Amino acid sequence: MPDHGLMDPAPALYVIRIRGHLGATALFAFPMMAAQRRGADTVLTGLLDQAALYGVLAEAESLGLDLLEVRQLGSQAGSSGSGPQCPA
Amino acid sequence: MTIISAPAGSGKTSLLRTWAGRADQPYRLAMMQVQRGQQDAQQFWLTLLGAVRRACATTSHPESPAPTPEFNGPAMVGRVLSELASHGGRVMLVIDDLHELNSPEAVAQLAQLLTSLPDGVHAVLATRHDLQLRLHQLRLAGELAEIRAADLRFTERETRELLGASGITLSEAGAALLHQRTEGWAAGLRLAAIALANHPDPERFVAEFSGSNRTVAEYLLAEMLERQPDDVRDLLLRTSLLDRVNGELADLLTGRTGSERILLELEDANAFVVSLDPERTWFRYHHLFADLLRLELRRTLPEEVPALHSHAAGWFARQGQFVDAIRHTQAAGDWPGAARLLADHSFGMTLDGQAQTIQALLQAFPQGVNHPELALVRAGNDLVRGRLDEAAAHLTVAETYVETAPPDRQHRLQVAIASMKLSLARRRGHLAAVLEQAEFLASPVTGESDEDIALDSDLRAVALMNLGIVEAFSLGLPAAERHLQEGASLARRIGRPYLEVACLAQLAFASKIRPFAVTRRRCQEAIAAADRHGWGAEPIVAPALVTLAANLIWTGEFDEGERELRRTARALQTDAGPGIRMLTHIASGMLQAGHGLHREALEEFSAAEQLGSRLEGSHALANQVTGWMLAAQARAGLPAEARAALAALDGERAGAGEISNARAVICLADGDPAGALGAVQDVLDGTAPVIGYVTVVEAQVLAGLAHYKLGDQHAANQAAERALGLAESDRLVLPFAMTGSGELLEALPRHETAHAALLADILDLVHGTSLAPQEPSALPQTEELSPSELKVLRYLPTNLSRPEIASELSVSVNTVNTHVRNIYAKLQARDRSSAVQRARELRLLSAGLTR
Repeated sequence: MPDHGLMDPAPALYVIRIRGHLGATALFAFPMMAAQRRGADTVLTGLLDQAALYGVLAEAESLGLDLLEVRQLGSQAGSSGSGPQCPA
Repeated sequence: MTIISAPAGSGKTSLLRTWAGRADQPYRLAMMQVQRGQQDAQQFWLTLLGAVRRACATTSHPESPAPTPEFNGPAMVGRVLSELASHGGRVMLVIDDLHELNSPEAVAQLAQLLTSLPDGVHAVLATRHDLQLRLHQLRLAGELAEIRAADLRFTERETRELLGASGITLSEAGAALLHQRTEGWAAGLRLAAIALANHPDPERFVAEFSGSNRTVAEYLLAEMLERQPDDVRDLLLRTSLLDRVNGELADLLTGRTGSERILLELEDANAFVVSLDPERTWFRYHHLFADLLRLELRRTLPEEVPALHSHAAGWFARQGQFVDAIRHTQAAGDWPGAARLLADHSFGMTLDGQAQTIQALLQAFPQGVNHPELALVRAGNDLVRGRLDEAAAHLTVAETYVETAPPDRQHRLQVAIASMKLSLARRRGHLAAVLEQAEFLASPVTGESDEDIALDSDLRAVALMNLGIVEAFSLGLPAAERHLQEGASLARRIGRPYLEVACLAQLAFASKIRPFAVTRRRCQEAIAAADRHGWGAEPIVAPALVTLAANLIWTGEFDEGERELRRTARALQTDAGPGIRMLTHIASGMLQAGHGLHREALEEFSAAEQLGSRLEGSHALANQVTGWMLAAQARAGLPAEARAALAALDGERAGAGEISNARAVICLADGDPAGALGAVQDVLDGTAPVIGYVTVVEAQVLAGLAHYKLGDQHAANQAAERALGLAESDRLVLPFAMTGSGELLEALPRHETAHAALLADILDLVHGTSLAPQEPSALPQTEELSPSELKVLRYLPTNLSRPEIASELSVSVNTVNTHVRNIYAKLQARDRSSAVQRARELRLLSAGLTR
């Protein structure tokens, strides 16, 4: 299916890498994400639509955290996407 | 311009404050901090304008900028620019926390401001992330200085200095470790310093800190909190959900006393607590600190959070700070309570210029919740934005609810609904509906609480204004005057400058039945009041501007009148209703007719008539407009068309005095002066209804012209004299100019008139010289003329000789000579014509009237 480049409103899996280990307090700011320590960094994973993603980024900015990476993991398995279906 | 762009805790605010506090400042500083999550463009601009005013002030107490219900962004930018420009000196505009400005409208306006700053004005902006301010131009031109995170980081040496200044002894290695771990981040170092102060083993602390991977802020905050006594920790946590805190509020939330002392000590210890006023009663936590505390609160005491918000909401409500009260009520999850608070106070908040804040608060309600009282808020919101149909729909919903509302809320809701329906009816021009709703004004302002009285007063002031506006346009000018005067003084009493100016401007317009001097004074008062607040070019003052224009045109000051008309046009650039535009066309038509440009006058009066027909219900000036339009038509060479239109008028209108005059004009154009005489008969004998005495003046002039054309010089002179007599007290010139009465007046022998001065003025005008403005000139004050001298003065513009003047006044020639000598001396004039000139400038020619 061709990618029309439109903003996909359907939620997708995002991985956000932040420098340092987030303690219980800071993690409370990201209730929708699962956290894992990887080396000296913390990796937050969660299912987010664009609005939620920007919310997470804003929260990280508020807390003065260092953003290292933001990545979308593939497309949601079995999702129908947001654009019109192309004829098979 | 300077931009400081760095993440939270980098030290931006500290940098700004330290630098601003330096004694050797060559600049005046206009400093402000954007409020957290600021979505309201007007609130941002009012704060900025206030800061600019205080910085540029020549007096010790500059007036705070007054809010308006509707916000005109470009006008506000213009106002800020002109205040900066008029100061002329060097001003520094400092805006902190610019990333908190969540209003795209405000950001765009700010970009506009920053690209137009006058010379000598420098801007310093502090933000957490780069903004869309179109800085590329400045960057390219080398006019932008940037301070970024890397610049703000502490070096190792600076770290050691900080430690030393805080009285902390740490080895060089320890300091290096600390510097490395924090990477020179200011907030981290500050927190570390607090944690290290009085620490038993600083080296071990730094080693452990270094060894941990915890984010710096969290680690150090936890350390710092651990070191605090229980009551301090408790206070910090519980008050973290406030944007600002004072001792009383903190006591309330902690259930203890002594919070003020704790806050002061925390600030003294440099622990991220900052006082907001010189008296140190209000405090704020550094945002980063507060955010972490808030998270910790929610994590450790989740069940307490709603109650904390409720207590805070109650406290703010009692203080009259309703935006905070509503926000906390919403945060506590009490949606019905928040809806009630918002419904009660949105009216006052709109008058405080917080329409956008209201919208943000409305949007915070969850989708499912549709508390009926919110319908009232939505109606008000729509009304401000001019969405009249939507507003009406919401009002209907609100009305259905009122019947089932609890009894203690019914009165308040009914008054609010009535007031809003009145506003709606006024904007639609529905007079009957307006009068219906205005009944509630008859009942006195009751109220159990100060709040009730304040709300009632607000509603009442707005209602009086709306009522006055509609009355001024349609029926009763006396009633309009009464209501608008009451509205203006009430508005003044309750501190609502916007409403006061609106009432004064409308009052100026409603003063049409007063002597012209009174009207003029009222216009000038209203315009001056508007100018003081920077609203001189806003639609609010347009009624006063256009009335002043008409007033000046009536007295023949055409140039000044035209200037005021241009000012009116500029003020009406944003969407203006048919009523005010009609008035502008009428005044323009008067001006054109006065210049003898009848085709142009016809265009203007036709436009006025079109707009007039769009007003619901008849309006007071309808007959005047039609009459002048027909007259202009006839004089423009289209008497047949005029006659046809005249015939098409219905009986009641056809009997109006203004229409009779038009009929006379048509007859004169058709070469039928006898018909003209017949037409104006009912005006002259007082049987025809007239809008004002100006119609009678016009009728007399027309009668005079008719007699003149019929060859009856004596009757012509009598009519002219009568017209002059009526016009004398207000110095009306326009009726003579409009009717092309030159021949008639020239034929009037000088010694047969008691109004020689007025006559001379009119003839000057008719022959093309515009009359001098009646404003006092900038020349030095002259000694006052005595009444006898004034009497003689009035004859100077005529070509009567001194003996002739003496016989007019029944005095000796010697007396006249003495008076003239004194007049010349007092007016510092060399001869008769310069004396006349000076007298005109000082408006003395009309001053010597005997009634």
